[in-house]
Amino acid sequence: MSPLGQVRLLLFRSLREGVRNPVLAYALPVIIPVAVLVLVAKTLYRVTDLPGFPTGNYAEWMTPAIIMLTAMTGVGYAATSLVIDIQSGFLDRLRLLDVRPSALLWSRVLFDVARVVPAGFVLLAVGLLLGTDVREGPLGILLLFALLILWAVAYGGLYFVVALTTRNPQAPLALAPLFLPLQFLSTQFVPSSLLPGWVRTVSAWNPFTYMVDAARALTTGPLTLGPVAKAVAVAVGMMLVTQTASRRAYLKAVEGD
Amino acid sequence: MPEPAAIEVQELTRDFRGGVRALDGVSFTVERGEIFGYLGRNGAGKSTTVRILTTLLRPTSGSATVGGHDVVADAAAVRRVFGAALQEAALDELMTGREHLAMAGRLVGLGKSGAAERAAELLESFGLKAAGDRIAAGYSGGMRRRLDVAMAMVRRPEVLFLDEPTTGLDPQGRRAVWELVRDLRDSGSTVFLTTQYLAEADALSSRVAVVHEGRIAAIGTAQDLKDRLGTTAIRVLVAAGVTDRVAAAVDPNPVTATADGWVEIGVPGGESAVPGVMARLAGAGVAIERLQVEPPSLEDVFVSLTGTEIETADVPARDVNVTAVRRSVGAKTGPVQ
Repeated sequence: MSPLGQVRLLLFRSLREGVRNPVLAYALPVIIPVAVLVLVAKTLYRVTDLPGFPTGNYAEWMTPAIIMLTAMTGVGYAATSLVIDIQSGFLDRLRLLDVRPSALLWSRVLFDVARVVPAGFVLLAVGLLLGTDVREGPLGILLLFALLILWAVAYGGLYFVVALTTRNPQAPLALAPLFLPLQFLSTQFVPSSLLPGWVRTVSAWNPFTYMVDAARALTTGPLTLGPVAKAVAVAVGMMLVTQTASRRAYLKAVEGD
Repeated sequence: MPEPAAIEVQELTRDFRGGVRALDGVSFTVERGEIFGYLGRNGAGKSTTVRILTTLLRPTSGSATVGGHDVVADAAAVRRVFGAALQEAALDELMTGREHLAMAGRLVGLGKSGAAERAAELLESFGLKAAGDRIAAGYSGGMRRRLDVAMAMVRRPEVLFLDEPTTGLDPQGRRAVWELVRDLRDSGSTVFLTTQYLAEADALSSRVAVVHEGRIAAIGTAQDLKDRLGTTAIRVLVAAGVTDRVAAAVDPNPVTATADGWVEIGVPGGESAVPGVMARLAGAGVAIERLQVEPPSLEDVFVSLTGTEIETADVPARDVNVTAVRRSVGAKTGPVQ
């Protein structure tokens, strides 16, 4: 079987298993971001009264950022499943059937993507219901989801590295709360100009800041090349680092002793 | 050119991190059509051998071929000639039996309908037809094992590796696996079977290798091993007071008398020694009223080779994990779509 056929077969396996465990697999990635978006839009809407705030609708300010947040609440399940496969010996079984390491890893990574993208659409819909004006139109949305996928693969790589290095299926759970500080230390809630000085400095080193800024440029606008190019560069760079490390950890986990 | 042996192993060693030597120069040959029993305690090196022969682990030194292909240099070719059911039934708890077999079929290159057909065939012949559309989390230990072996058969292998196929099974499940192995032998497959149960090695294998601390302690047919390394107990009922004459007649074999008039003579080797002993007793004029012969057991052989009793009770730690996983996925036993 071709490597691509293997990826497709194994991805289908994951999707089917997700259907049998639907709350964890498909509902969880949506619940937290929807809760954050609705609660924040309904409780903190007067933030927009601050001088210098770029929009009058706080839901509109938050929606693009929260769509990017789904990448961080939607990954992790696949890394845990992979470690369970290693522990049960099922992975050895697949190796005996000539499944390539890359097919095993990418089918799992793509499963994370398959959880994140629908969650992103749900959040977009909720945002629209809350009055978000998507000025950049369908092309912007398309590019937004391309960036969302990149970011999910880059951020999800962290989970694979932790899971495969510890070989403990529970270990990736420890990474879940990481999205909290990354949110607050970014431009998600308020523009950079309203952040305290030290937070502004930290946020410039926070990759999530770049995702949020680009997501806004691609939806509520104005669309300029700068933030989008920076975000793509950050996401691709991070993806190369995390996915390379995850591949190495994987090879060590299955071929070492 | 003669057909290569099913398995050929030469001076195989494997060291693990921390300097643990799991295999220490193991050599043996398994002929085609043979059931080869690989007998040893936990940690003796059985699974390490299997993992090397199935290309999952590289040897530190030495060489091995399966179906004539080198397990290191030609791993891909090796994978095409064997099937393996490794220690612990390696299943995906959320997949049905049919899905396991169909997926394996697709991965070995059968088309969609070919894989479905093969899956149905295997479910039928492994007695899993009724359970085929339930997820594995609800399977019993015996069903898990059978599904695991069925997966190993998807490719119609020339050589089948079964690593402790009955460990953790109840007597019923164990009997079912034994029958399965005998069927495989009858259909001409070569089977490499590891076990820590002496009775299993004795009942199934054409030849047995006893592995101890990473080395082959002895190798041969079970009968051959018993003849070479076992002890036959000959018990004779004789008149009171002739124990000393018995001892003198069979010297230097050890003799013990029991209170009820029986005298036990320990003779190295198998039952073939019995006529000789009887002749010597007759020559010494000892009248024998009754006779009992207890042939050597593989147990004796094992003890004489390793100096330890083999373990008989065993609860694999992995079973506990499987239970935990089943719980965490909320094991369903009904059909799923």
